[in-house]
Amino acid sequence: MIEKTDISKEDLLNAYRNLVMERFLDKKMLNASKQGFLPFYIPLMGHEAIHIGIGLAIRNNDFFYPYYRDFGAVIEMGIPLDMALSQVFATENDNALGRSMPDHFSFKKYNIGAVITPVAGHLTAATGIAYAYRYRKKEGSIITTFGDGATSTPDFHVAMNFAGVYNLPMVFFCENNQFAISVPTYPTENGAFDQTYMETRGDIYKKAEAYGFKGIRIDGTDFVEVYRQTRKALENAKNGPVLIEAMSYRMGPHSTADDPNKYRTNTVPEGSAKDPLIASQKTMKDMDILDDGMIKSINDEMDKKTTELVNKYEREPKPDKHTMLDNLYEEEPWYISEERGDVQ
Amino acid sequence: MTMVKALNSALDNAMERDDSVILLGEDVGTDGGVFRVTDGLLNKYGKERVMDTPLAELGIIGFGIGMAMEGLKAIPEIQFQDFLYTGMDQIINQMAKLRYRTNGDYTVPMVLRTPYAGGVHGGPYHSQSGEAYFTHTQGLTVVTPSTPYDAKGLLLSSIELDDPVIFLEPKRSYFIKGEVPEDYYKIDLRKANVLKEGDDLTVITYGPSVPLVQNTVKKNNVNAEIIDLRTLNPFDINTILTSVKKTGRVLIVHEAPKMFGVGAELAATIAEKAIDYLSAPILRVTGLDIPVPFALEDYYVPNERRIMEAVNKLLNYQ
Ligand SMILES: Cc1ncc(C[n+]2csc(CCOP(=O)(O)OP(=O)(O)O)c2C)c(N)n1
Ligand SMILES: [Mg+2]
Repeated sequence: MIEKTDISKEDLLNAYRNLVMERFLDKKMLNASKQGFLPFYIPLMGHEAIHIGIGLAIRNNDFFYPYYRDFGAVIEMGIPLDMALSQVFATENDNALGRSMPDHFSFKKYNIGAVITPVAGHLTAATGIAYAYRYRKKEGSIITTFGDGATSTPDFHVAMNFAGVYNLPMVFFCENNQFAISVPTYPTENGAFDQTYMETRGDIYKKAEAYGFKGIRIDGTDFVEVYRQTRKALENAKNGPVLIEAMSYRMGPHSTADDPNKYRTNTVPEGSAKDPLIASQKTMKDMDILDDGMIKSINDEMDKKTTELVNKYEREPKPDKHTMLDNLYEEEPWYISEERGDVQ
Repeated sequence: MTMVKALNSALDNAMERDDSVILLGEDVGTDGGVFRVTDGLLNKYGKERVMDTPLAELGIIGFGIGMAMEGLKAIPEIQFQDFLYTGMDQIINQMAKLRYRTNGDYTVPMVLRTPYAGGVHGGPYHSQSGEAYFTHTQGLTVVTPSTPYDAKGLLLSSIELDDPVIFLEPKRSYFIKGEVPEDYYKIDLRKANVLKEGDDLTVITYGPSVPLVQNTVKKNNVNAEIIDLRTLNPFDINTILTSVKKTGRVLIVHEAPKMFGVGAELAATIAEKAIDYLSAPILRVTGLDIPVPFALEDYYVPNERRIMEAVNKLLNYQ
């Protein structure tokens, strides 16, 4: 049984600092996109506790296959900020040479899978990775994340079924922010959504049962709780897969391409009790790790730090255009060599 | 041995040498695959390496990609190419793009085997020739053998490649026989095979149409050069251009429909690079531009009459 205390107070405080950093960075990256430095951006607000909790739970031996809204998880895992921000801002230092949209990380040396844009497109690969882990008798488990909308895809159901059939060492982690783009996850009665239909009628966490394993629903607004449940699931995954549905709320737009006021009333305004930043502060205070003075000083520090970071990365040079034809195949085909002449 | 046995022998050789090679697919284990390509391998290598899977092509392909990302060599079998389409998203968006979009952080050394084209009177859903879907996807290597010898050598080369291969097996040729060494050998994936030298015209073909072209040319004493592409993308441009510059006349034969097919790309490339050498239009003899009809398949596929009409048109062209 894992207690809250199996992580040192120091590490918990560091995790909280990352959570605050994610909140500030998110706002500034969104702003950078409004100013034209990022052609597209995927906001994070509302997901921070899930991200930090997962990042804290993943150990070196584990493998993480994220989706496109997992920035803070990668940071909390200890991936250098420079690697992550070079990717987000598609700079010449991005290890994938700016080929994908923001937050599409691929860090093989840190056991992080390559984020893919098509929703749930990574879930079946995650099952294959889990199989390879067991086949090679590797330590550790696989955790893969996805949204609530992703549970409507064939990929989700096929991956869950394969995981059940082969009893794979993996955790399916659903970040339920209560809607896909404008379509709500579940039927709602309170008028919070301008709703026609929904993603599903059945509880997501219960879908695991049909595939022969356990599903649980947890509070996704408190990172300590997310950590505890995720770590437990990763350890139990040696005996078979687990599905976690973490409840949270997407506090911002889906992406820089939509206006949420069109389809919902914001029920979790910033600073309210269900805001993961506030919920996590409360837990940390209850654990005597945080007080109001620290909250203020960490805020000031992170505000300053993130401004500097964003200013730096939005001005970093883009990749050299001649790299764009590299690495399609192991051995370059004749027609790619010919097309090099087209890039001037 | 037959092409089926040659493929089985290739898989056996590869699995014996390297324990990272893993087969998966519907009925590939106990049943040995519906065409028996994986026959006997479950007994020899066990269920961890010859995996029967649930009935979900999307899952089979995605699972294979994940194994490849973790350093295993997945060789999924899709029972018929016609049923692969629920996994098409994985092929186009994950398997083909992974190396490029991660700039080589991840690669997908995986060979997706599947029987394609006609020959068993399978109607619209056991006879499709979908190669153009794959050749038009950047990052895939599309290979199709025409003989038992090539089937084994090309499959072993595909398995060694650090890139995803769509390995299309012409089911109409599964039971043709030929000499095949028991031992491990490879065939260059980037080189076409000149099956017969000739001076009057070049016939470019591949996979299921190769025996038909060979028989037709032989029976009618045509002085044709026959090129078997072996790999459709990236195809061997040099062998094609060398031959075309010699003969000046080109016929392309494939079983897939004509419109927007592999033949169109070959013809356009030849026209772009060698039109000054041509003495006649480039002609194509292909499957008809309809789904494959169950009862009338024999009228759908290229045949000797249609090939000879095209040959004569080319040879008589002034
Ligand atoms: C297969 C596919 N269909 C549609 C889209 C467009 N799209 C991007 S994100 C999204 C909603 C996803 O919702 P959810 O899975 O809940 O994740 P969230 O964005 O809420 O974190 C849609 C429809 C896509 N990327 N992929
Ligand atoms: Mg959602």
